[in-house]
Formats: sequence, structure tokens, C-alpha cells
Amino acid sequence: MTSSSKNTWTLAPHQHQGPHQETGEDAHILSPEKHNGNFKAEGILTFMGAPYCAPDRHEIRKMGAKICFLGAPWDQGTIVRTGTSSGPHGIREASSQYFSYLFEYDVDLLTFFKVVDCGDIPIVPGNNELSQQYMCDYVTECLEGGAKVILVGGDHSVPIPGARGLSQYMSRNKPDASMGYLHVDCHLDAAVDWAGIEITNASGATETLKMPNVSSKNMAHMGSRNGLNPKDWMDFWVDNDMPIIPMSEVIERGIETCGRKILDRAWNGTEAVYLSWDTDSMDCSIMPGTSCPESYGLNARESIAFARLVGEYGVDVFELAELAPIFDVSDISAKLACNLVYQYLGSRAATLRSQNQAP
Amino acid sequence: MNASAEHNHLFSPLEGEDTDHSSHISFMGAPFVPVDSDDLSSNKAPYVFIGAPFDEGNVGKPGCEDGAREFRVASLGIPSYWFEFNVDLKGEVVDAGDVSMPRVNPDVARERIYNAVRKVLAAGKIPIICGGDRSISIPAAKALSDHLGVGKKMGYMHLGAHLDMADRWAGETHLSTNAMARITELRNLDMANCAHIGARNAFNSKDQVELAKNRHMRFYPMMEVLDRGIDDVMDEAVSRVWDGTDAQYLSVNLNILDSSAAPGVTFTESGGLNSRELIRVAKKISDRGHISVIDVTELCPMTDVAGSTSRTAVTIVQQIMAGIQKVHGKTLDESLRRSGWRYDD
Repeated sequence: MTSSSKNTWTLAPHQHQGPHQETGEDAHILSPEKHNGNFKAEGILTFMGAPYCAPDRHEIRKMGAKICFLGAPWDQGTIVRTGTSSGPHGIREASSQYFSYLFEYDVDLLTFFKVVDCGDIPIVPGNNELSQQYMCDYVTECLEGGAKVILVGGDHSVPIPGARGLSQYMSRNKPDASMGYLHVDCHLDAAVDWAGIEITNASGATETLKMPNVSSKNMAHMGSRNGLNPKDWMDFWVDNDMPIIPMSEVIERGIETCGRKILDRAWNGTEAVYLSWDTDSMDCSIMPGTSCPESYGLNARESIAFARLVGEYGVDVFELAELAPIFDVSDISAKLACNLVYQYLGSRAATLRSQNQAP
Repeated sequence: MNASAEHNHLFSPLEGEDTDHSSHISFMGAPFVPVDSDDLSSNKAPYVFIGAPFDEGNVGKPGCEDGAREFRVASLGIPSYWFEFNVDLKGEVVDAGDVSMPRVNPDVARERIYNAVRKVLAAGKIPIICGGDRSISIPAAKALSDHLGVGKKMGYMHLGAHLDMADRWAGETHLSTNAMARITELRNLDMANCAHIGARNAFNSKDQVELAKNRHMRFYPMMEVLDRGIDDVMDEAVSRVWDGTDAQYLSVNLNILDSSAAPGVTFTESGGLNSRELIRVAKKISDRGHISVIDVTELCPMTDVAGSTSRTAVTIVQQIMAGIQKVHGKTLDESLRRSGWRYDD
């Protein structure tokens, strides 16, 4: 690559290079002519085969990236079993089985959003505060670079630094604006502390409400069910007058109605939204590869429908947490997680296109 | 009417009687009748099971060459009596064994699959071909087309997550991803008699969608199935394939199912049919009362969970067989009772 093209977004699918080059800029969304006919190869692994970009606001801006993928290989915040630190790898590997083209929307996600993979956030073993500070800083850098963020955990303490990253970005750039926060999860995650610790995956909602530009009137929870929801978690949502849409209500009223309700609330008067989506909101039959699998959850078509709905509204940070490939079965969980990000981006692209907007 | 010994397998075993275990592994414990045998045409069974342990047409993950074997094993755990239809599938099928596969020689392998299917069709039987990867449909569908000959029309229905409409794939023309591209070129398959159901997600490259549209291949993507419901889509699709055709080919790629319902598939895809919807698919097909070829592909035992995908695969085939049998009136005598059964009065 010449130095003059170094700072522009250039798709260079490594498996299309070499002596048998694929030709044409659309080669990656077409059936292969020469290379990579074999989808057993994951090659040099990035999400969606996107080019790597340093997680630096200036680099991101120079490349013109509008979607940054960030991995958070982190499971030091969990109160249940570990394994989610391999989540970013799992979703990248699953993406190697896919084209970046979605026929349902007739869009190439890669070139439409100029997707980049900013790699994994560094984690410091034994230093949870510093690790979370890095997560916060990385999210902020991507936002400052003019991109939206796909943040893949990692245990579900990821929204604590993740939402703080968006909050700090908003405070600096739009000090008068507020932001919304959505928590889609089997669990209410509203412990004020867990055995004295405030930054575990039991406290995503509680920590977020502390942020200066977050108001309870723009927060909501969807998908709650089953027996890992202590009373104080429930009390936190109720006492702060924030709606919980339990799974039973989703089944009764449908994902479309319930999804719109929380998205409308998050976007009501705000200028940014953070979506924190725990994979255990999905049923354990389609999502066995998570650290706390739970029955009676969203099935694949419901979760895909919600991802598409989120694409209609858009979010600033789309976070997917708790993917744990070590417990997966036939990679179905990782592939669904990957598909949810793709469906979100596809729907987002279709929405923007219909409004004649650029990403 | 109390059952004679020949009907004992329909019932719970009698005291002192062993469960009907087959001593050899075959589809439903059926007798082995090779495709070259004279017994193939003289046998009364309308169906002939063929294994096609072929995995060299696959562009994704490996493992489906073991599909036919596990399909047979799963079938041994399911009795031949289907209570919803009051039919007995015993004697309805013979097992022709696996097509002998030369390794690292896909051209010869495809030719052998083609020959096996031709022979079964020539014997007047319905082949049930279990893959193997989805590319086995190419020689099998060509066999049906050639068997019919000029002037006869065939219908083709595919259930699966991918369009498989790549004209060329890295220069190759007979891989799984090429399957629909080749099959839609068969001379006696009119596009009015072709239906593809279940396409979804990001393994459908742009050229494939364009070719499907250029050739006017009607595909019902999963989004349409969700909007309309499976019954409505199947009513329309079955009409396309069955109305006015002389023969019908049903091709089932098990990734038509949601990955939660079928983890034991080489290329799993989320957002597909659940198993109860697949049962509806079987009903809509069997209601027509006849079929010419069935293939089941991409069963991947090494990623299966507790054999559940194999069992579902067998179930769907047996549902179709049982439904067709009922349409033909080959049901059991309603008064048939277990040997030794006594009414209270």
C-alpha cells in the first residue's frame, strides 16, 4: 500500500491479494472467482473482514470509518462463570463465515459504513478499575473519531465503562444534551453493589444512572425473567420509575410493540443512546454459548426482529455482552450474535438510505 | 381384531418378546437391496434409501459425509408405526446402501450419485437420498430430469437458508453454492415449477440474488415466510411445484431449520423454521399424495447435540412418507389390537 493511501479507508481483503488477485471493488460481495472459495479459512481475523484501524480518533477520522468494532475480552467483572473473554474472538470467527452483503437490504455493510476493526481493548489482569478505564477511553476515542461503536464483550459489566465513554463524549461535545440507555437482558442488573463492589456485571443499570447526562426517564429494561433477579434489583427500577418489560410481556404483546416502547423512551428528547444487550436475553436453545444461559427467552426470530428495529432508530453504541464461545454448541450462539450485528447494520443502512442520509 | 405375529411390531412388546432391534444398520432396519440388484424393481417397497457420503462440494465447515450413517442410526430408534396417520411404514422402503465414494475425485463421485439415482428411478421407485453436502442435489436432480426425458415436466422445491445460485464459485460449477444455478438449467424444469423457501442472512452473495432474479426463480425468503406464515407460503409453493408437473423433486437442506432446532448442520443459520413449522411443510407436501425424489443434505453429526438433528431429519422424511401413505388409503385396519387384548365387556 502506498503512503498516499495509508489514511483512507481501503478494503484490502488479504485473501484476495497475492498472485491470484480478485479483481473489481465488489469482489468481496460476489461469489469468488479465484480466491477464498473456501469458507473454512478465517485468514487474518477481523470482524467482517474489515480493515484494522488504530483506536485513535485521528486515525479513525482519516479513514472515514463510521462503524468501529471494539472487542472487550474481559470477564473479571462477572459474578457468575467466566468464559466471556473469548466473546470477541467468537463473533469475529463467526463473521468469517459470512459475506458483508445482506440481500434482504441489498447493501454491502462494509463499504456503506466503512467498517473498521479497532482490535481488542487491553485488559489488565487483577486491575479491574484500570481495565474498565481503558474500555471507557477506547469507546470515547471511537466516538471522537466520528464513528458509531459496535462493542462486543466480555461480561456484562462492560456497559459500566461503555456508557461512561458515551457519557463523557456527550459531556465534552454536547454538554446540554442528554442520552438514553437501554438494557436488554434476562437479568435486571441493578445492584447498588454486590458484596461491596460497584463495578460487577450485576450493576450496569445502577452505574449508568449515576452519569450526569442520563435521566431515568430515558432508561428502560426488556427481557427480564427467572430466578436470578434479587429484590433490590427490581426495587431499583421500580423506585426510579423506570419501566421493566419482562419476558412474559414480550411474549404477550410481541417484540415489535415492546421494542418500540423502549426505543421511543430512550430517544425521547435525547441526542444519543447506548444499547446494552446481554446475550442471555435470548433463549438458551439458541444461545447456549453464554455465561448464564436462561430458558424462556427471545428466540432467534424475535432477537433478529429487535436488531432490525434498533436499526430503524439507530444507537451510538451497540453493545453485545456475555457471548461465551467455550459453552457454545456448533457455533450457533456466535453465529446468531454475529447475525444480530449484521441485521442491525443492514436495517440501519436501509433506514439511512431511505432518508437520503449518509452514515 | 387381534394382531397376528406379523403385526406385533406395531405395539408395545409382549411379555417375553424383545423389542424389534435390527441386527444391521440400515434406514428403518430395511433390507439391503443394492441398486444393481434385480430385486430392486421386483421389491414391493415404493422407496429406496441411498446414502451419499460426499463432502467435497462443501465450501463451509466439514462433517456431513457422516450424515447418512447417523440418519440410519437415528431411524432405528423410531418405530415404523405413525399414530397420527394410522399407517405402518415397515416394508415401504429398502436400503440400497451408500454410493461408493472415491476419495479426492469429486467428478467420479457425482457420476456415481447420478447413476445410482437413475437406476432407482428406472426401477420405478422413489429415491430418498441422504447426504452428504447440498451439492449432491445437482447429479440427483439431473438424474430425474434425464429419467423423465424430453416432453415431461419436473417440479423442484428447495428448503434451505442459502440461494445456492452462484454460477461460478472460484471457477467451480458443481459445488453446494452452485446447486440452484445448475438445477435451474435443467431443460424440463420450468421456472414456473420451481420454488426456494427459507433464504436468509449473509451467505447469499450479490451475484446469486441477481442470477435468481434474472432466471425468475421464485424464492420465498425467511422474511416473507415470517410475514405470511408457513402455511400460506407452502400452499403457493406446493402449487407451483406440483401443479401440471409429471414429477416432483423435494430437496431439504437441514439449515432450513433454525440453528436452535438443528445444531447438527454444517452451515447453521439463525432465524429459520422451528421444527413444528417443518412438520407443517411435510403435511403440505404429503397432502399432494405423491413425490418423485427426496433429498436431505448437510446433516453434520459431529456438531449435533444428543442426536437431535438426525432424529428431526428422519422425522421429517417419515412424516412425508406416512402422510402420502395415508392419502393412498394404505392405513391399518381400525379394529387392529395388540395380541392378547381383551375388552372389559
